Amino acid sequence: MEQNKEMTAQQSLQLITETFNKSRKGILRNSAKYFMLWGVLLTVTSLAIYLLWHCTGKPQWNFLWFAMPLLGYPLAAVLGKYNVAVPQNEVSKMLSGVWSVFGAFAITLSAVAVTLVPMNVTLIIVIIMGLAECMSGVLLKNWPIIIGGFLLGVGGAVFAMLVKSDAQLLIFTLGGVLLLLTGIVMKLQYK
Amino acid sequence: MFPKLDPLLHSELRLAVMSILAGVDEADFTFIKNETGATSGNLSVQIDKLTAAGYITVEKGFKGKMPRTVCRITPAGQEAFSNYVGALKEYLSAGK
Repeated sequence: MEQNKEMTAQQSLQLITETFNKSRKGILRNSAKYFMLWGVLLTVTSLAIYLLWHCTGKPQWNFLWFAMPLLGYPLAAVLGKYNVAVPQNEVSKMLSGVWSVFGAFAITLSAVAVTLVPMNVTLIIVIIMGLAECMSGVLLKNWPIIIGGFLLGVGGAVFAMLVKSDAQLLIFTLGGVLLLLTGIVMKLQYK
Repeated sequence: MFPKLDPLLHSELRLAVMSILAGVDEADFTFIKNETGATSGNLSVQIDKLTAAGYITVEKGFKGKMPRTVCRITPAGQEAFSNYVGALKEYLSAGK
């Protein structure tokens, strides 16, 4: 790119639009890896807990859920550290905000359910997870993600009411796959 | 009478830098360099010009042990960029 190239008004506007779009794509493509990371972690954790609970009959394996953020946040930090620092734009900030709020709700409610008031945590978390996914789709203007989030929230809530004990965890496996797919869709959408 | 185009922004690389910074809170020098495809030397010169005009601020620091240069657009820069885009649109609409 040359600093002194003479540009027409049309070329200037085109340059602004192209640079802005290229930068926006790079920022959102960078967000995709976090969706993929949490998607894989959720899928693996939910499947592991399901299998352990199913085979041993001990619901105490659910405490392994607390290992997920303990592993996920440092991994996310490492992912960010070894790349060129990609800035945040309004959409990536809102995506980050939506999922941080989801994480805060999920961790706090799980802790409350374990220590203070027993509740159907799966039902609550799957609804707010579906909502967070739906909102991500709205921010990304992507209908498959919106519909996926809606189906996860509504379908997951019904599933959580109908199915008891260990099998409920499979809804989170599906949620993890959905997050992973969201990351892949973002990678492709902002190629 | 058409508004005068800001000569500082009417340059390919400086305009690209401002276009990137207008959409984000802050951006690393390396990110801007990658996005514009400019050389480090050329980009530094243009960033200095934008800084001198008060359109952007530059903060040098470290991320871990690596040096890091962060650029941010200032309110004056946002206004200048907005005025520049407005002027371009007037030129184009007049030409139709």
